[in-house]
Amino acid sequence: MKKKKYALECKNLNLWYGENQALYDISMKVIKNKVTALIGPSGCGKSTLIRCFNRMNDTIDECKVDAELIFNNENIYSSNADVVKIRRKIGMVFQKPNPFPKSIYENIAYGPRTHGERKKEKLDKIVKKSLEAAALWDEVKDRLQKSAMGLSGGQQQRLCIARALAVEPDMILMDEPCSALDPIATTKIEDLIDELKKDYTVVIVTHNMQQAARISDYTGFMYLGKLIEFGETRKIFENPDEELTEKYIMGRFG
Amino acid sequence: MPKRNSSRIKNKELHDSILVKKNSISEFIIEKLLFIAAVSSVVIIFFIIFFLLREGFRAFELLGIFNFVFGPEWVPVGTPERFGAFPLIVGTLLVTVGAMIFSIPLGIAGAIFISEIAPFKLKSILKPTFELLAGIPSVVYGFFGLVILTDWLRVTFNQPSGDSWLAGSIILGIMALPTIISVSEDAIASVPKEFKEASYGIGATKWQTISKVVVPAAISGITASIILGMGRAIGETMAVLMVTGNAPIIPSPITNVFSPIRTITGTLGIEMAETPVGSIHYSSLFGLAVILFAMVLIINIVAGRAMTKIKEIHHPSSRKKRFSFKISESQNRVIKYAILIAFLLGLAFEMYIWFNLTYSIAMLGMIILTYIILKKLSANYTQKIAFTIITLSAALIIFILAIILFDITSKGLPTLSWSFLTQYPSDIGRAGGIFPAIVGTLYLVAGAIAFALPLGVLGSIYLTEYAKEGKTTKIIRAAVDNLNGTPSIVFGLFGFAFLVLYLNIGISLIAGQLTLGFMILPTIIRTTEEALRSVPRSLREGSLAIGATKWRTIQKIVLPPALPGIITGTVLSIGRAVGETAPILFTAAVFSKRSITPSLFEPVMALPYHLYVLTTNVPGSREASYGTALVLLIMVIILYAIATLVRLKYWKTARMGSGSL
Ligand SMILES: Nc1ncnc2c1ncn2[C@@H]1O[C@H](COP(=O)(O)OP(=O)(O)O)[C@@H](O)[C@H]1O
Ligand SMILES: [Mg+2]
Repeated sequence: MKKKKYALECKNLNLWYGENQALYDISMKVIKNKVTALIGPSGCGKSTLIRCFNRMNDTIDECKVDAELIFNNENIYSSNADVVKIRRKIGMVFQKPNPFPKSIYENIAYGPRTHGERKKEKLDKIVKKSLEAAALWDEVKDRLQKSAMGLSGGQQQRLCIARALAVEPDMILMDEPCSALDPIATTKIEDLIDELKKDYTVVIVTHNMQQAARISDYTGFMYLGKLIEFGETRKIFENPDEELTEKYIMGRFG
Repeated sequence: MPKRNSSRIKNKELHDSILVKKNSISEFIIEKLLFIAAVSSVVIIFFIIFFLLREGFRAFELLGIFNFVFGPEWVPVGTPERFGAFPLIVGTLLVTVGAMIFSIPLGIAGAIFISEIAPFKLKSILKPTFELLAGIPSVVYGFFGLVILTDWLRVTFNQPSGDSWLAGSIILGIMALPTIISVSEDAIASVPKEFKEASYGIGATKWQTISKVVVPAAISGITASIILGMGRAIGETMAVLMVTGNAPIIPSPITNVFSPIRTITGTLGIEMAETPVGSIHYSSLFGLAVILFAMVLIINIVAGRAMTKIKEIHHPSSRKKRFSFKISESQNRVIKYAILIAFLLGLAFEMYIWFNLTYSIAMLGMIILTYIILKKLSANYTQKIAFTIITLSAALIIFILAIILFDITSKGLPTLSWSFLTQYPSDIGRAGGIFPAIVGTLYLVAGAIAFALPLGVLGSIYLTEYAKEGKTTKIIRAAVDNLNGTPSIVFGLFGFAFLVLYLNIGISLIAGQLTLGFMILPTIIRTTEEALRSVPRSLREGSLAIGATKWRTIQKIVLPPALPGIITGTVLSIGRAVGETAPILFTAAVFSKRSITPSLFEPVMALPYHLYVLTTNVPGSREASYGTALVLLIMVIILYAIATLVRLKYWKTARMGSGSL
C-alpha cells in the first residue's frame, strides 16, 4: 500500500465557547483528493470542528481553540499564521446558501478581484470555468448580470461552490451544504462533489447518513464534542469498532 | 499533483507559506483609523456625561441634594435667592403626564390602524405622514401653540390666559405621538404571522385577534413606545417654553390645568444665558440638567428592558426561555391593566376639562357600562365599534397634522417670496427677508455633519466590526443610547459651559456646529450600528471564507447593503439639526447680523432661533414668523421625503434579497 498524502492533520484539538468546552481532544487526518465526511447528531460539534479548519471560528469572539492543525507542513493555528491566506487556500461552503446581494457574475468575480485579478478577460474566464465546475454554467450563462438572489436555493448553493472554486483553493469545506435543499438539488450537489474530488480535497459535514455513505471515502463520527471513530466510510458503515457508532448508524438514536 | 495547480505552485511555493503574513499595512492603518474614530466618539460621549455630572453635583453639594430636589421655591434672582427644584420637577411631570394621557390612546389606536386595519396603499402613505409629525421642529410646534392653541384655549374656556399646563400637554402630546405610533407599530408588525393565523384558524374575528392575540403579544413594544414618548416629552424645550407661561408654581388645586407651569427644560432655556459662571445659580442649572438626565436615564433603561423583552418573546434565546416567559406574562397583565386604567383616566380627565367633575364621573361610568355591555354583544358588533373608534382616532391624528400644516402653509405662503428668501431682515425682523438666517442654518448643519458623520460612521464600524463584544462594548452602547435620548437643551448647556465659556470660544458658529454635532453623534452611531448589524453574518463569512481581508469584506460586502440605512439616519439627523433651537440658543445664534461671510468664531443667525425670537419678542411680526416657519417646515419636509424615498427603495431591494431560501 502506497503512502497516503494528508491534506490536513488535526492533532489534539480542544475548543471552548467561553467556559463551555465544545470539542474534546480531536485528532484526525484528512487525505488528499478524497471526500471526508463528518457525521453525528446535531449539536455534537460538527460545524464547530469544520470551522476550525479554515479558522472561521476566529470570527466568534468567545471561541478559544487549542490545537495543532498541519496544512502543507505548517500549523494553521500557529500564532504567526495569516488567516486570510489560510482561507484562500481552504474554501468553505455554508449550510444556508449565502450569495452576496450582487449579480451572478460579481459573486464569482469578487474572489479573484480580491486577490488582485483586474483583467476583464481573465475574470470572464474564471467566472465561466468556476460556474462550469459547479455545474451551473448552462443554467445561468444568459443572465450573468442578474442578481444572484433570483436563483433557486439549489442554484444559489452551487453558485456559492463556484464562488469558492474561483479562488483556486486546495481544499473545500462544506457544512451541510444540502440541508436547505430539495432532493433534486441535493443530487446535483452530490454529483458535483464527486467531480470535485478529482481536483480538490473535500471535507463535508452532514447529518444525513445515506449521503455520507454515498459520497465520502472517509467518515468521522462525532458525539458530544468527541470524535468517536474515524476511518474508511465502508468500514464505519459496515463494521464499526465502537458500539456508539454502530448504534447511531443503525438509527437507534440521534 | 493536479494539473490546475502546477503553474501556481511553481512560482509561488516559496513565499506562499501561510506563516508569512502578507504585507497588510493598509489593513493595519485602516483599523487604527477606525479605532481612533471610535475612541474619539466614545471619549466625547463620556466627557459630556462626566462634565454635566461634575457641574451638577456641585449644586447638590452647595445646596444639599434634599433641599435642592424638594425645595418648594425657585427664586433665582430674589433676595434671598432660593433654589428649590420641586415646582419645576412637578411641572415637568405634570406636563408629561398630561401629554401622555392625550397621546397614549391616540398613538396606540394610530399604530393599530396602520398595521392592522388600513389597506396597504393607505398604510404606505400614512406611515411617512405620521413620521413627518416627528420631523416638525419643536420651535414650529411652539409657534403654532403660541399663536393658535393658547389663543383658542383662552377664548374657548374663558380664561385670562391660554399659556398653561394644558397647552403644554397638548403640544407635547402631539409631539410624542409619532414616537408612540412608530415604535408600537413596529412591535405590532413584528408579531409572528403564525400567532394571527392560529387565532383566525379557531374562528376569531379580526378584532378578537387584534385585542386578544396581537396587542398582548406586542405589549412590551407598546410599553416601550409609551416610555420613549414620555422621554421625548420630558426633554422637550422650545415648544414647552413657548406655551406654558413659565411660572415656577405648583398648580392649585393640583388639577387646575389652566395654571401656568414651568418645566426643567424651560428653566434651562430661559435662565442659562443670563447666569454668571460659577454662581450658585449656574451650578443649580446644571443640577437641574442632572435631574433631567436621570429622568431620561431611567426612562431609557426601562424602555430598553421592554424592548429586549420583545426580542426574547419572538426569538426566545434557548437558555432562559421559560424564565423570561413567565416573568413577562405576569408583567404583561399588569401593563395591560395599567394602560387600560390610564386610558380611562385620560378620558375622564379630558371630560373633566371639557365639562366638569360630575359629568366626567358620569361619563366614565357610562363608558365602563358600555364596555360591559359590549362584552355581552356579538363579536361582530364589538368589532364594528372598535374599528370605528380606531379609525376615528387615526383620522384625528391626520386632522391635527393637517391643521398645523394648513395653518402654517396658508399664512406663510403670502410672505414667501424671492425677496423674503434673499434679503436681510429690516425693522427688527418685521420686514425684509431671512437670508442670513437661512445661510446661518446651512453653515451650522453643514459643520455639524462634517464633524459628526465621519466620526460616528467610522467609529461605529469599529465598534460593530472590530471591537470584541464584551463589557466594554456594552457600556459604550449604553452610553450612546442614553446620550441619544438626552434632551437637546442638555447639549446646549454643555456646549455653552464647555465650548463657549470654558474653552472661551465665545458664542460662535463653530460652537454651534460642534454642539449640534455632539447632539447628532449618538444618533449617527446608533443608526450606523443598526444598519451594519442588519447585514447578515453569513455574508461576512462568505467573503472571509474566500480569503478576503476584514476591511475588504466591510467595504465590498457589508457597507453596500448598509448604506441606505446609514443615509436615512444621516438625513434624519440633518433634519433634526436644521430644526433644533435649544442647542444653539446660547452657543451660536444671534437675532441680527449684517454679514454672512462665514467666520467660524462669530455668531450666526439661524432659522429656528429667528422664529423663536420673532414669536416671543417682536410684536407685530406675525407675517415674518409664518414665513420663517414655512421655510423651516419645507426644509424639514424635503429632508424627510428624501429619507423616506431612500428607505422605500431599500425595502424593495431588501425584499429582493430575502427572495432566497
Ligand atoms: N457561537 C457559539 N457560541 C456558543 N456556543 C456555540 C456556538 N456555536 C455552537 N455552540 C455550541 O457548540 C456545540 C456544537 O455546536 P455545532 O458545532 O453547531 O453542532 P453541529 O454542527 O454538530 O450541529 C453546541 O452545544 C452549541 O450549542
Ligand atoms: Mg451544524
